Amino acid sequence: MSDPTDSDPIESAAAVSPDPADPHAERPFTLSVPEVDLSLLRKRLDLVRLPDELLGAERHYGAPLADVRRLVAHWRGAFDWRAAEARINALPMFVRGVEVDGFGTLEVHYVHWRSAVAGAIPLLFVHGWPGHFLEVRKMLPLLTASEPDHPSFHVVALSLPGFGFSEAPKKPGFAGPQYAEVFNKLMLALGYDKYVYQGGDWGHILGTHAVDIYGHKHIKAWLTNLPVYRDPTLFTYPIYYLQKLLLPITTRFNDKARKDYEDTKNFYQKGRGYFIEQATDPQTIGYSLADSPVGLLAWIYEKLVSWTDNYPWTDDEVLEWISVYWFSRAGPAAASRIYHEMTGGQSYDWWKGSKRTTVPLGAAYFPAEGTRPPKQWLNMLGKVVFRSEHDRGGHFAAFEQPQLLAGDLRKMFGKGGPAYGAVPGKDGYN
Amino acid sequence: MADTTEQPFTVAVSDTDLELLRKKLDLVRLPDELEGAEWNYGVPLADIKRLVAYWKDSFDWRKAEAGINKLPMFTRDIEVDGHGTLNIHYVHQKSEVKNAIPLLFVHGWPGDFLEVKKVLPILTAKSDEHPSFHVVAISLPGFGFSEAPKKPGFAGRQYAEVFNKLMVALGYNEYVYQGGDWGHILGAHAVTHYGHTNIKAWHSNMPFYRAPKFFSNPLLFLGMLTIPFDTVTKTRLAHSMKWQSKGRGYFIEQATQPQTLGYSLSDSPVGLLAWIYEKLVDWSDKYPWTEDEGRLLEWISIYWFSRSGPAAAGRIYYEMTSQNQHDVLEGTKYSSVPLGASYFPGELVRLPKSWTSMLGNVKFEAEHDKGGHFAAYEQPEKLAGDLRKMFGKGGPAHGVVPGKNGYD
Repeated sequence: MSDPTDSDPIESAAAVSPDPADPHAERPFTLSVPEVDLSLLRKRLDLVRLPDELLGAERHYGAPLADVRRLVAHWRGAFDWRAAEARINALPMFVRGVEVDGFGTLEVHYVHWRSAVAGAIPLLFVHGWPGHFLEVRKMLPLLTASEPDHPSFHVVALSLPGFGFSEAPKKPGFAGPQYAEVFNKLMLALGYDKYVYQGGDWGHILGTHAVDIYGHKHIKAWLTNLPVYRDPTLFTYPIYYLQKLLLPITTRFNDKARKDYEDTKNFYQKGRGYFIEQATDPQTIGYSLADSPVGLLAWIYEKLVSWTDNYPWTDDEVLEWISVYWFSRAGPAAASRIYHEMTGGQSYDWWKGSKRTTVPLGAAYFPAEGTRPPKQWLNMLGKVVFRSEHDRGGHFAAFEQPQLLAGDLRKMFGKGGPAYGAVPGKDGYN
Repeated sequence: MADTTEQPFTVAVSDTDLELLRKKLDLVRLPDELEGAEWNYGVPLADIKRLVAYWKDSFDWRKAEAGINKLPMFTRDIEVDGHGTLNIHYVHQKSEVKNAIPLLFVHGWPGDFLEVKKVLPILTAKSDEHPSFHVVAISLPGFGFSEAPKKPGFAGRQYAEVFNKLMVALGYNEYVYQGGDWGHILGAHAVTHYGHTNIKAWHSNMPFYRAPKFFSNPLLFLGMLTIPFDTVTKTRLAHSMKWQSKGRGYFIEQATQPQTLGYSLSDSPVGLLAWIYEKLVDWSDKYPWTEDEGRLLEWISIYWFSRSGPAAAGRIYYEMTSQNQHDVLEGTKYSSVPLGASYFPGELVRLPKSWTSMLGNVKFEAEHDKGGHFAAYEQPEKLAGDLRKMFGKGGPAHGVVPGKNGYD
């Protein structure tokens, strides 16, 4: 339990000591934020000091003051965390210790929803930043349904180490291979020697690493909703490279291509402050995120709005989302470190160490995704067997458009689909 | 003509504001830290714990406030074309020497007007050996105790206008200018608009200009490509590259989403402390902050208690780059106004000295072996010494301000 008077680092919202008998055994997980933490949050919200705002700022300078003010008032007043908590606890959640080479045992939190269909396909869903495991929520009933027309899945959705209710790594160096090791060991521990993978944001980036290390042997196929990879270079992919050089010209002749190009450029110019700060000095911004509920709210809410396709966020949805960060086991500052670890503190890009594989790859394209390079470039990442292009939805696709993304998984893995039967003996049907 | 809006100014933070800060410090919630993190991930936890405890239990704001109030400070209204009237705060210390040179001192981010404190007695001293200055040290709009702009678009030209109108209102139609950080950048803008007519010479302790482009500076551009830089220059460039790749998070966030960041800086004293302290350490040349923690917390407190709040200051990055669409020197031109450049080894951007000639008419150069970004605070004797050399008898900018050569 956190004691504010001696300024100790954040304590877990649901601390569970590893069972000395078997730290790797699975235990059911119930979220239960201590009352004192709720009361401290309320005290901090009572003391909120807001900045002013330039006239006509709208969203150009960041999260708008009117939105933030309203959300803070709701958080202090009507927002019912216990009700949100109870709804989260309706999900089948667990924790278990997963040993990571060089990092000891980390307690990993996950949702594990088994389908009633005997031959259901095991699927690992991996979130990103500023996302969390609950992004899978709306897809769960669709993916695990028993319907003769669609394949069914056993769904595992973990909290990445350092996020949600998983422990965070204690030392530097936790990067691609370590996350991949956590994924694979978790799936194996659940009895899924072979499985498929779905992710966006870090879920996609970590997917490239996981598939590189465990592809074919364990990961049989994967679907991404952030279909990007390294830029082509003259030496690696000369034709794509030439195409890249000509983009400023060629995109002029196609409205959609031009919008993709302009939006991508805009994202790089105006939308990467959070990334550069978190990749270089996550501890520094971490003091704000740990100490200030409104600071954390604004930092995340800005992306919940700018990265989605006009998603009609309710205040309750936003506050539940932010609260998961505020009450996270490792605290909000820990999550930002992934940017630093995956880039060596901005010494290299986060694809480092990964390479193209022949593991069947599916790509779901949503129009409001921030970076939208030419689609052919995904061939540099893997063997693209499935592609879908949607006319609505953004970065948080599973949350914004669960029907569409679940539909993509169904098409990719269903009878007649390009990855049907990827997992031997588990084709998704009875 | 008497300007009636000048008022003497004293800092007087309300008890309510002091109490709010205290309550927030009592509730501070700190993150954990990776083993062996040191400075690799940002400000170390041990530093923050120590500083928060000091701020909460030992730091005496009222004492600091009384010290600040010993300086001769004023506010006055300055009208800015298209932005209405801003109430501007400044230190104005006149020298005993009647013909002292009027000098405007301009701070940057995360600096403040108090950076002038240590150089003030040196510059205003009366002596046969050295020139004397009347010193004006402004709080930039949005910083310290100056009002902030209310609408978008307050950039180079507007800051220059504030500077010039202030100096003219004080009776200094012709003056010289000293700045580092934004003080340097805004100096280039000020000289573009008011050089020669008003600004007769200027000095920078962060002398950089844009990298040479072929068409504007073909010789320098080719030099960049073909002639191997000497070791000293290579070290300087490497140092700048490091800042470029590892030290720019604050810049990009403030240039693109200053409002988002602003909620944290307004609401969290420890968040503000970390954000600024990181630069006070990174950018100074091993300045012994542990021996000066009272001043350190005074520095942070000025941001915390600033007139427009801590979030307003970061907007300068947005406005000066049009949200990261161009560099901060956009709109400046080469000027033949005499320029002095002081090079301090700890400065974050250190470019080949030959490039400074693209910035202006370099008449004075000094290279030091100690000191960093906050030169006036870290090495006041060296910086003041450079100004004395530049403007003193026999110096390259002696007598630039007619009738005010610094000596009686």
